[in-house]
Amino acid sequence: MPGKTPDKEPVENGGYRGGNDMKDKKDLKPKAGKKGVKEGEDEKMTVVVPPPKKQGAQKNDADGDVAMDVDEKEEGGEVKVDPVVQTLSDIKSNFALLDRAVALFDARFTLRALRSVSSIRKRLTPDILAQAISETYTSTSPGAETATGLLQAIGRSDVPLGRQSGNEMEIDSEPKAAGKNGAKKEAKEIIPEIDVFLGILTQVLLHDNKQWQQGLEFSRFLIDRIQTLNRRTLDGLSAKVYFYYSLFAEQLAPLPPSSQSPIVSIRPVLLAALRTAVLRKDTDTQASVIVLLLRNYLLTSHISQADLLVSHTQFPENAANNQVARYLYYLGKVRAIQLLYTEAHNHLTAATRKAPSNVCALGFSQTATKLLLVVELLMGDIPDRATFRQPTMEAALHPYFLLVRAVRVGDLEDFESIVAQHGDTFRRDGTYTLILRLRQNVIKTGIRMMSLSYSRISLRDICIRLHLGSEESAEYIVAKAIRDGVIEATLDREHGFMKSKEMGDVYATKEPGETFHDRIRACLALHDESVKAMRFPMNQHRLELKNAQEAREREREMAKEIQEGDLDEDDLGGEFEGM
Amino acid sequence: MADRQLTTLLTQLRTPSLPFSQSTTLLSKAKLLLLQLSALTPSPTVPPPHLTLAREVYELGALHALRAKNPDSFTRYVSQLQPFYDLSPSSFSSPSQNQNKVTALWLLFLLTQGRYTEFHSDLEGLSTRGSVAEVENDKFLGYPIKLERWLMEGAYDRVWKAMKKGEVPSEEFGVLCEVLTPQIRREIASSSERAYPSLPFLSAQSLLFLDSEGAVIDFARSRGWVIKDRTIYFPTAAEMNVNEEGEQEQEQEVSQMVIENTLGYARQLETIV
Repeated sequence: MPGKTPDKEPVENGGYRGGNDMKDKKDLKPKAGKKGVKEGEDEKMTVVVPPPKKQGAQKNDADGDVAMDVDEKEEGGEVKVDPVVQTLSDIKSNFALLDRAVALFDARFTLRALRSVSSIRKRLTPDILAQAISETYTSTSPGAETATGLLQAIGRSDVPLGRQSGNEMEIDSEPKAAGKNGAKKEAKEIIPEIDVFLGILTQVLLHDNKQWQQGLEFSRFLIDRIQTLNRRTLDGLSAKVYFYYSLFAEQLAPLPPSSQSPIVSIRPVLLAALRTAVLRKDTDTQASVIVLLLRNYLLTSHISQADLLVSHTQFPENAANNQVARYLYYLGKVRAIQLLYTEAHNHLTAATRKAPSNVCALGFSQTATKLLLVVELLMGDIPDRATFRQPTMEAALHPYFLLVRAVRVGDLEDFESIVAQHGDTFRRDGTYTLILRLRQNVIKTGIRMMSLSYSRISLRDICIRLHLGSEESAEYIVAKAIRDGVIEATLDREHGFMKSKEMGDVYATKEPGETFHDRIRACLALHDESVKAMRFPMNQHRLELKNAQEAREREREMAKEIQEGDLDEDDLGGEFEGM
Repeated sequence: MADRQLTTLLTQLRTPSLPFSQSTTLLSKAKLLLLQLSALTPSPTVPPPHLTLAREVYELGALHALRAKNPDSFTRYVSQLQPFYDLSPSSFSSPSQNQNKVTALWLLFLLTQGRYTEFHSDLEGLSTRGSVAEVENDKFLGYPIKLERWLMEGAYDRVWKAMKKGEVPSEEFGVLCEVLTPQIRREIASSSERAYPSLPFLSAQSLLFLDSEGAVIDFARSRGWVIKDRTIYFPTAAEMNVNEEGEQEQEQEVSQMVIENTLGYARQLETIV
């Protein structure tokens, strides 16, 4: 989509642009007098902010943007940027994105801002954040109250607000520019999106510093603030706020499996948030909160509540891919516990496929794959061996590999020793209770193997081979297997043996047709989904119409000119050659 | 005042042989007293001793309901107990002696009702109470878990042995096992129908855990089995006839499905290309 690129480029380079500006300023700076490194940075920052904003205003002028971009990239290579300054400018460049998200009412810009959080996260310190806050707010601006809240949360309440205005005064060398900047600042109102964005950064910071309790309190404060605001442009951000809120609660003692964990107490808040989100058609928050609630219920093993939640809510169709993957995983887990293996299998397969393939989501894919393997086994299928060969998964899946091997062979003793040996791993993965249910599958596979290999075998031998308790049990178990359709055989009570029936030709049944149909259906569904997933830039068709109109006008003009005889024959000749 | 009355009521209720009519009146009295103490439902303002009393009233109520074979009232008591069990142990003055017993009975009750989904959901919830091994080795909790496993495997003889008089962990389990017995017999019967072409009387009697030949005949009649020369013939041959007729129908169904699918593919192709 060529229409999108010019828009995107300049903003992503915002950081570099900041760097360039700083360099220019540095040359001028000595005139203003040395004020220490930190001060200097502050001052620089004040100048950095406007350009991206200007960019926002220029957004339609695509050509201009691209041209500027190229210049700056060239310069950008030479500048060595201070990490602190870099971080600050990164944070601020996001404000521009948020501004634009509000102005254009396009959630994509908000998402882009949120995506940068992970890169900022690595460099974030309380000092940097405090600085960013103090420079964003003035003590008189309406957001000042929030700002003090933010500063308190990160333990920098002594940092005064509105530091920049003071600095600007000091730039004597460029009174005009400074004055202009200052005026612009004051006129610019700090939108709530920026408040919340800084709030999220604060949450991230508290989380990384393991200040769970403070994090929880601060999150509550932030949520209160979000709930008073009713802005659609906040949706993506508030989803993130709830996410961290729940994360903090999970970390506090007593830890989750206990029913006294703080996560139980945040349920009403999340449920209220869900209700509001549904009423406001806020799909981001809706998706995120549903996932959080499911996770919450599953952590304390409240399966029936999780099931009720699923049956009473509708997961938004156009939710972010990651949320869909999570939702499917949790849903799969609930269904697996409820013995609905086919459903669980569908959900989990979708979850593993939707999981991002890059390294940062490896944990998720591993967990989902583990559960998927167990469910496949419970369904009586043997998972594909290739699953265990993936280099990123191999080590994590090793116990499951052993398990699959035991189930495949139908060796009960081997199975039990593996369960005992790797019990802790399975328990940690939350698959232990499901694995215990596998026992019957092991037995069934064993019986099937027997039935395939022998046309007639005594119950006694079955009992010995499969390590079943007694011949009597073996008889009941085999009878049940026959009824459940695991094997095609008959029992002879008097002589005590099992006689296998001849297997018919599979290709004479309707099974191949069904499998074929399933595959075709999967392909068609994939096609439909890809069509649905295509995105078209808004109002693009209008642009084309406009171009067509312009072309027509040009043609008309040209025709007029020809009529008036302004054009020479040569000119026209050239034109024709071109065609 | 009220709590002292409640304690005396509880001592009366603790005798297991109490007739049902008497226990119901005592229990409703106890619940009224709980209402006076506003401890009918657990809330953070209720002092620990009252909570402990309330919990015991419900537990005894559940046990009495089970003895009186009143499943509805048992279900009610168990659901009322649930919020109490979710509270932290510190909010009670003493830990409950009956908690595991009631939970185990509830699990067994779910089994008898065939509510396997709920059984497994609740089983998952037990893992919060202690390690899995601990739960499985518990005298009460281990019982329904083992029974379920054997039932799923089809090891009915073990289930049968476990349900005999001396084996059940307490007398209330016996009540539920009585409900479970005919269910197991039905299961065995349905698998025998498919597994054996015919079965001599004596084998059938031991397989189905029936006491006498008369019982076998009655049971065979109820399932519609054919009895000839002291041998039971399962109605497979008759079924076959039905199947042959059905086969044609089935074939028609299959071809219809194939046609439908092919048409569907054609339509889809048209939309794509």
